[in-house]
Amino acid sequence: MDRGRLQRVAGAAWPRLLAIGLLLGIWQLLVVVGVTSPGQLALPGPGDAFAEIARLTSQGVLIPALLKTLERAAIGYALALVLGTFIGLAVARIPVLRAGVGSLLAGLQSLPSVVWVPIASLFLAIGGQVENAMYFVVIMGAFPSIAMGVMSAYDHIPPLTFSLARSMGARGPRFYRHFVFSASLPVYVAGMKQAWAFSWRSLMAAELIIGSVASSGLGPILDNGRSLLDVPEMFAAVLTILVVGIAVNDLVFAPLERGLLRRRGLVPA
Amino acid sequence: MSLATAPREALLTIQPVDPFVAVRGVTRVYGKGRDALPALQDVSLEVAQGEFVCVLGASGCGKSTLLSIVAGLDQATEGTIETADGRPAVMFQDPGLLPWLTVRRNVELPMRIHKVDSGERDRTVNRLLAMVGLTEFAGSRPHQLSGGMRQRCALARSLAQDSELLLMDEPFAALDAITRDQLHDDLNRIWQETGKTIIFVTHNVREAVRLGDRVVLMTPRPGRIAQIWDVVITRPRELDSFEVSRLATEITARLRAGAEADGSR
Repeated sequence: MDRGRLQRVAGAAWPRLLAIGLLLGIWQLLVVVGVTSPGQLALPGPGDAFAEIARLTSQGVLIPALLKTLERAAIGYALALVLGTFIGLAVARIPVLRAGVGSLLAGLQSLPSVVWVPIASLFLAIGGQVENAMYFVVIMGAFPSIAMGVMSAYDHIPPLTFSLARSMGARGPRFYRHFVFSASLPVYVAGMKQAWAFSWRSLMAAELIIGSVASSGLGPILDNGRSLLDVPEMFAAVLTILVVGIAVNDLVFAPLERGLLRRRGLVPA
Repeated sequence: MSLATAPREALLTIQPVDPFVAVRGVTRVYGKGRDALPALQDVSLEVAQGEFVCVLGASGCGKSTLLSIVAGLDQATEGTIETADGRPAVMFQDPGLLPWLTVRRNVELPMRIHKVDSGERDRTVNRLLAMVGLTEFAGSRPHQLSGGMRQRCALARSLAQDSELLLMDEPFAALDAITRDQLHDDLNRIWQETGKTIIFVTHNVREAVRLGDRVVLMTPRPGRIAQIWDVVITRPRELDSFEVSRLATEITARLRAGAEADGSR
């Protein structure tokens, strides 16, 4: 049994390992060819980048920065989740709001959240509210996806479910608790997943531009590398940012989504 | 109101028992003006407590509309519905089980909604699961069940609703013949055990004859009641017994005559 599980994990891992190996190979090839910047800065190889990650970790720089960034992401994302859920539910349930706000949300979703950075910078960061400025950018980046997810989740509830709820006399909070929330969960989680990607991107934009002023984080490490012409440090930051994105998806959202679908018989067990 | 609780004077004068469900002059028109489509026209029907009434008709005759109106899921344009017992339980062709809940949780859902305490809930669910033969599948999820088992689960759930009136809208139409036959037996037994009042909509003539105390034939455009038969065949009935076949043939002939009259207009 345990052995079968091990084999399954190994079986699922090899295409991914192959892809990573291929990527590192191409990267190393570019280094061997001798790619440089116009300012004659050499491209560091994967080995240099990993050595830099080890150095930043042992100097006690990387882990606190990573935790700080994750904290911002978590708080900003949680706020976006609450805001987006309420807005999405209101828009889905109230026809006037749907007509008025529905298309606006779709527009907001396609608006690159980096455009909020200068505004957040002027209105919040310069007044000393650097953290709030970053939360603002994350929220603006993530909440439209959450709200759109809620709307489409609500629209995907089969009409029969509403008839059943009515014939069982489920109204108000009980109607939401027993029918709406559970029925819309898979589509809602898909929206949450997309919103996480948006909030992570938004946070990086915010950290790069306004985070470097005063605070720690992965963005400031990247910006610091740029100003000191420390290319390995920049690559170390980029790799870390990439790994966090992958890890959150693989360790949080993918299992959540799989579990939900499996219990409902939508994917083979 | 049952006879046992009626005042003595009423008993002495032998008044007819109040109907359990009274449909009076119900008309349902969809749309307005030139697009108006009458789905039901002046339909009246009385159903006694504990009676099993089958409403039969071809698709489009308004039988499902009638059921929806009795269920309170649709509104009559004209006419009234009176039911002696609150909100009826409804069963559809699609079992409509909630896919994220186990069989047990699906069955107890109506009781959870109405905040029945957990001890009583467990006892009732156990009894109902045994009644529909799903005790062993209490922990399964709907997608792990066969079509017939899903419909049994939906039946148990509608029984859990603690309504004396059960409305069924072609609940077995999507099942294979063998499974349907078994469910007919089960439904007949459960109806006799529980004494529920059932209004059962179907387009299957033999099904109607096999199950009903009365068969109400509806014809389309506009939907109205064409004829009502009392079924006096002893239970349990066999689908291919002589008596069932004979009455089914008679009803089918009437159904065809109605369709031809309709087509010649």
